[in-house]
Amino acid sequence: MRPRPGRALLVPAVLLLLATLDWTYIGTEQFVNALTIGAVYALIALGYTMVYGIIELINFAHGDIFMVGSFVTYWLLSSLGFNGTISDPPLLAVVLVGAFLVTMVLLGVVGVVIERFAYRPLRNAPRLAPLITAIGVSFILQNIIQIFFGPSPISAPQVIDVQARVSIGGIDISVVKLFVIAIAFILMIALQTFVSRTRMGRAMRSTAIDRDAAQLMGVDINTTIAVTFFIGSALAGAAGVVQVLYLGTTNFQLGFQAGLKAFTSAVLGGIGNITGAALGGFLIGFIEVNSTVAGLSRWSEAIVFGILVLVLVFRPTGLLGQQLGERA
Amino acid sequence: MKFARVGAVIAVAAIVVSACSGSATPAPSAAAGASAAASAAAGGTEVKIGIELPLSGGEKPNGEPTLNGVKLALSQIQVPGFTVTLNIQDDAVNGVHDPQQGAKNIQTLANDAAVIGVVGPFNSSVAKAEIPISNAAGLVQCSPANTNISLTKPEFGALDLRKTKPDKIAYVRVATTDDIQGAAGADIAFSIIKAKKAFVIDDTETYGKALSDQFVATFTKLGGTVIDGASHGVPKSGQGDFTSLLSLAKAQSPDVVFFGGVTATGGGLLRKQMVTAGMGAIPFVGGDGISDGAASVKGSFLNLAGDQGGPNTYMTVAATHDIPNPEKFAADYKAMFGTDPGAYSGSGYACAQVILEALKNVGGDREKIRAYVTDSTHSYDTVLGKFSFDKNGDTTQRIISDYTFDPGTKDWKFVSQKDFGGA
Repeated sequence: MRPRPGRALLVPAVLLLLATLDWTYIGTEQFVNALTIGAVYALIALGYTMVYGIIELINFAHGDIFMVGSFVTYWLLSSLGFNGTISDPPLLAVVLVGAFLVTMVLLGVVGVVIERFAYRPLRNAPRLAPLITAIGVSFILQNIIQIFFGPSPISAPQVIDVQARVSIGGIDISVVKLFVIAIAFILMIALQTFVSRTRMGRAMRSTAIDRDAAQLMGVDINTTIAVTFFIGSALAGAAGVVQVLYLGTTNFQLGFQAGLKAFTSAVLGGIGNITGAALGGFLIGFIEVNSTVAGLSRWSEAIVFGILVLVLVFRPTGLLGQQLGERA
Repeated sequence: MKFARVGAVIAVAAIVVSACSGSATPAPSAAAGASAAASAAAGGTEVKIGIELPLSGGEKPNGEPTLNGVKLALSQIQVPGFTVTLNIQDDAVNGVHDPQQGAKNIQTLANDAAVIGVVGPFNSSVAKAEIPISNAAGLVQCSPANTNISLTKPEFGALDLRKTKPDKIAYVRVATTDDIQGAAGADIAFSIIKAKKAFVIDDTETYGKALSDQFVATFTKLGGTVIDGASHGVPKSGQGDFTSLLSLAKAQSPDVVFFGGVTATGGGLLRKQMVTAGMGAIPFVGGDGISDGAASVKGSFLNLAGDQGGPNTYMTVAATHDIPNPEKFAADYKAMFGTDPGAYSGSGYACAQVILEALKNVGGDREKIRAYVTDSTHSYDTVLGKFSFDKNGDTTQRIISDYTFDPGTKDWKFVSQKDFGGA
């Protein structure tokens, strides 16, 4: 290892990052746009970072879990006969709670199954093996969805009226965006509480720090890892529901790009670090919106990855550093 | 992906050309031509028009009405001294148009000494594989439907396709080219929508960017203002989120939004999200990349955009909707085939007219016919109207048809067409 850039370098890195952002739009609709798209990235990034934190696997199939989540939501809503806005508030609440619950639980189970059959047999294999397997799982998920729903993009029902707006502090904000942001924050707080306050959370943290030691201390490693996959995948499933509510569309290739952005978020924040993943997700949301506001939408992807490279140069462990256990 | 495919097509074409050039170049055209000319006086010399169209599977609805247009032309137009028959080749034998099959077919036609000209192909990708072969063989091809700019225009790489004989083009088309669509979109925005301020978005791909750039140029020339002075590129992202760009657009209150791109790169989502952004009432214009069927077709532009697009959605297609005498043509066609003509029946007819006109003037020599057809001083009075071919083989009749979303039928509805020839 070459000498690590000291913590002091973090300050210029963050300053550089902030300097690239145009903060004049704080309090405008663009700010809300950035929070909304950032919330989606953050939700997906959490699963990446949790899985990496606990078994050091970059789960490339994770973006596709998000994609499957959006299809499950679409299937659920359309098979229940909803094909547009639901104007009756109690019914809307029931439908939303139902959509989140079913999708999250279902995707959580999918995550556990994938872990059990694709990753667990390779837990002690060289790092490259599970990585390649993850890419394979990604293709399998894409192909399954393609077989059932076809290759065309799908127009999914947006049950929350997308034209509904509320006025907060003088700005018109679309209700669905507020809802997305609120859901993301609720889920993140719930996750943080779970990881820091519960027995299973403690087991996850200890497994992340040292799997063998945790096992010796009586932690059931298999269950702990399965729970990690369940939670991470459920969060990606929630992001899938959000995708349908917010953009009303999905396609079988959705997971790749979203997964890449979310992975970038996780790395930007410090992979393995839950708070870092959330922070990274929102930062990328802001960077993207900034590029657009600055008239550089054509370059938004280059800017996102350029900033990632810069941050990693100055701080290879990401903004908040690694280690699920210590910082979570 | 597009590039990869184009690359593959070129590679395949190159292989086919190099493999066949030995046999193709000394095509027996001179001999056949001489004998045809000699026996012309005797009357009834048999010559053939080659047909190279997709005629099977899902492509049958494209190819067959076009072929019928040619058949109708042959039944109505007699060239004294010649009996004209068809040599029909299908490039969709596997159900989908296939450039490799097309290359094989054009080679077969080139090897048939009686073939004086070819009507086809239907698809631009097939044309890309065929042009090098017909160019080498000196066999004129008239496409009823190709619109891709790279097939003819040197600035878009057409010279690579006619490398063997760059000065002797052997490919003409009666459909106009894609690059006029941006201008047509600007015309819709300015003349039909009466917009003064446009917000332009493209998908950063070849087709979309070209369309948007041309829209910007034409709209400005007409007297409109383009917000930020240029097109805003949005690379196809997984999410398909145009929200922040639309917030930006909304703040500058455009009269129209133009999208250069296709459905797959976000066309339908953009229209849908305009509604979310509170811009549903603002008219939207796109090129034929969003022309992919009614709202009932899963994954089509109208399907993804939903009813929210309202009636203010327009798109352009580089094709003629109304031919000059549609009633007579339709009646003749129906009398012969029992159905209404297809979108390209008139184009097939016109291609046949062009070849027969050449046959009438210069006789059955393949090279003479090629030279006659590609001579830009000759003009043709066809079922599509009067036109000639420019030095690249593009028709001077540059008709673009405009369509709008009809909320009643939930499908595209023809609005008007305009000839941009000379524009």
